[in-house]
Amino acid sequence: MINMHGTMTRLPRHLKQAVAVCCFGFALSGCSPSEHPMAQDGLLYCAEGNPESFNPQLVTSGTTLDMTAAQLYDRLIEYDAEAQDFVAGLAHDWHVSDDGLVYQFSLRDDVQFHTTPYFTPNRPLTSEDVLFSFSRWFDREHPYHFVSGRGYPFFTSSGVPSLIESIDAPTSDTLVIRLKQPDSSFLANLASDFAIVLSAEYGEHLLAEGTPELIDQYPVGTGPFKFAGFRKDVYVRYYRNDEYWRSVPLMKQLVFRITQSDHKRMLMLLTGDCDISPYPPARDVDWLKQQAAIDVQQTTSPNTAFWAFNTTREPFDDPLVRQALAHAIDRDSLLRAVYFGHAVRADSILPDSSWAHAPQPDAYTYDPERARRLLAEAGYPNGFSMSIWALPVQRAYNPNARLMAERIQSDLARVGIQAQIVTYEWSTFRRRLAEGEHDSVLIGWSADHADPDNFFRPLLSCAAKESGANRALWCDPMFDELLNAAIRSTNQSVRSHFYRQAQEYLAVEIPLVPIAHSIRFQAVRNDLQGTALSPFGGVQLRGIYRTLPQLPESEESQP
Amino acid sequence: MSRYLLRQLSLLLVTLWLLTLLAFSLGHWFSGDFITNTSGIFPEDIRFAETAEARAAEAGIVNQYTAYLGHLFRGDWGLSLLDGEPVFEQIALRFGATLEIALIAFVIAIVLGIPLGVLAALYFRKAVDHTILTISLSGYSIPVFWFAQIAILIIAIQWGLVPIAGQINPLYEITPRSGSIILDILLEQPEHMTEALHSAFLHMILPVCILAIMPMMLIIRLMRNSMLDVLSQNYITSGYAKGLSIARVLWNHALPNAMQHVMRQIGALISLLITNTMIIEVIFSWPGLGSWLVRSIYERDYPVIQGGLLVISAVILLITIALNIFHAWRYPQVRKDLYGAN
Repeated sequence: MINMHGTMTRLPRHLKQAVAVCCFGFALSGCSPSEHPMAQDGLLYCAEGNPESFNPQLVTSGTTLDMTAAQLYDRLIEYDAEAQDFVAGLAHDWHVSDDGLVYQFSLRDDVQFHTTPYFTPNRPLTSEDVLFSFSRWFDREHPYHFVSGRGYPFFTSSGVPSLIESIDAPTSDTLVIRLKQPDSSFLANLASDFAIVLSAEYGEHLLAEGTPELIDQYPVGTGPFKFAGFRKDVYVRYYRNDEYWRSVPLMKQLVFRITQSDHKRMLMLLTGDCDISPYPPARDVDWLKQQAAIDVQQTTSPNTAFWAFNTTREPFDDPLVRQALAHAIDRDSLLRAVYFGHAVRADSILPDSSWAHAPQPDAYTYDPERARRLLAEAGYPNGFSMSIWALPVQRAYNPNARLMAERIQSDLARVGIQAQIVTYEWSTFRRRLAEGEHDSVLIGWSADHADPDNFFRPLLSCAAKESGANRALWCDPMFDELLNAAIRSTNQSVRSHFYRQAQEYLAVEIPLVPIAHSIRFQAVRNDLQGTALSPFGGVQLRGIYRTLPQLPESEESQP
Repeated sequence: MSRYLLRQLSLLLVTLWLLTLLAFSLGHWFSGDFITNTSGIFPEDIRFAETAEARAAEAGIVNQYTAYLGHLFRGDWGLSLLDGEPVFEQIALRFGATLEIALIAFVIAIVLGIPLGVLAALYFRKAVDHTILTISLSGYSIPVFWFAQIAILIIAIQWGLVPIAGQINPLYEITPRSGSIILDILLEQPEHMTEALHSAFLHMILPVCILAIMPMMLIIRLMRNSMLDVLSQNYITSGYAKGLSIARVLWNHALPNAMQHVMRQIGALISLLITNTMIIEVIFSWPGLGSWLVRSIYERDYPVIQGGLLVISAVILLITIALNIFHAWRYPQVRKDLYGAN
């Protein structure tokens, strides 16, 4: 070995060079800026979960609504939150009879359904398509009523199917709906993200093929984008609908990247892996606002986070126990820990922006002493053990349910109640929840439309218990009667009176404890224009475009 | 050699058989219904009766096992309890993605690790040796997830050089066929082929480099030690005495003999690499086997756990046996040792 020293320094130079070339070649080729020829007209939206279906009629989850409703489909009418009025959609005109029982819609005649590799439409939209779509959830005899086997939770729980007497399509551009009784929230329900229009022709085509279930997996609608592919946990891909009846979207492609972790989504926004990221982590919102490349948008969307008790189980069937639990938790500290100040305390299920809002702060004050007394009165002086289900995804109303559950757990321990926290993947979580396997659950509701009814019937009515959307599994005929009285009238002060009574009744019965009304955030890369959060329903992505990159300054300064 | 080959192959078969037995027993050991656990079909499903019949639910454990083997060989590995996707197809697709980064990382580890190890041995106890040793020791001791976080923060967020999630910018429409993104792009032949490949390459840099670090550090250390052993042998000195060039001595005599010891350790390296691949897949949202298996364990998706376990153990087993056979074929004295031991 020793006698080799002289030559040794010479030889390994080759090796060294080889090593250097390997290292640098690899690193350098990665250094070029990531220029995508398609990036200019493609939009990447980082979604927080997988869609459960591509048909919003079948779901109530905001994740699915964001990805489907306003992208693939259109509705007869829409609600304009700024003007606080209904505006035309597929129906250019509509008329309500004086007794409030007959609704007549006149449809546009220039609306085409999507042409996709799996279906080519032969005719434009007619009233037959609307009849087909509405009958799907309204008429149990309809060939598609039981397809996909999920039910229609929004419609069933807001009682719309039992309200409708008949739907007719007298001519190809008129649709007539007759109601059994007047309902002041009916138009609002038709303007919600759930009342979308499917293609009757596609439906017949699939029936003839013997594969009706594909209607919800390979969607055909009239919306600004058309379906191009879905890979679970990876992406949902849409292409723009070049025949869209409104102005055609500027982005050729829209891809939802599925990323559950809010922290990961934020990082992906910073690296340019996404253009839009909903629900950034609450603790990072202020930091994100300072980033030059990012705009943080917000809306005070009417929503409520609540803690619902399974009232069909002991001991939660006893209102005294539910009152005790309401007094056992410190909601103000929850607001600080979970929302970082981006929310207000909820003293009613109805958000504070609603005209029917009647807060009941006394019913939900933090008073552990009183909670213990109530527990003793109910026969549980030594407490009991229970489960708290924490929703696994971030929602506008609750950015971190797991953390909230941990806080509640420690509050409950102080009054002698042991709580275990339970959570599953989102679709499993919803399935088990609908089956009523929980003791209590931290979840919430975001408004689909501006009518106060949207916070009562879909959440707490007996019909909602049937459809599985009533997280408290609470059914009280007296409460249902109050709600029915409220919707039968169109006079706001009469309705307001009934809704006040309903809220007072809830403050005594406490099937759920309202926790917070929060601000919904969305972080967007700042070269995007036309992004805005709407206070109601899912996101709207059709108007988005990218500003052209600015020319380098050097070109101007040169002589 | 043929006797050794036969022994290794029978070892492979017996171990594979034990693996299927274990996977089959898991179906019984998991809580819940055996048929649901193995087929992914819930008792409410209309196909349940048919499935129970096909899987011999009532016919005793031996028949159940035979039925299980039948399904296994037909590629019917049941459906995922979560989303009803056929497990076998998903495994085939995701395995390609996993294999892609694991293989590339492994090649990088070899290509860089061996020269660096040789370099350290040649400069034994010099500055170069010390530097390489220090780097390899620290590289080996830092956990892979920590490396990944640091790399994301500095290289991706601070410098903005590379993306951090997925296989490719999803605006490029690439149909997953093999799971390996590069193969899929070549099969798809999209309009912007070069750009798509470039995007895929950028997405791969971080996961692959981080994955390569740990095996590379191990190879450096193994290579250095084994090279030092070989260089002190008499036949090396006599090679120089004969007047052979240094390159010739190293290339023809030292390297092949030093590799013998390294080869022996590569099997162990591979299982380490596969474990790390799973962690990396979760961090970089790489749609491979690892991220899928981790989720299935969270959600108690039994058919997926069974299938994934079978595939991963079978792969590690196959590689180990293949390496053993290669080792014995390439280095005759190993074979002689083996026979001598018997």
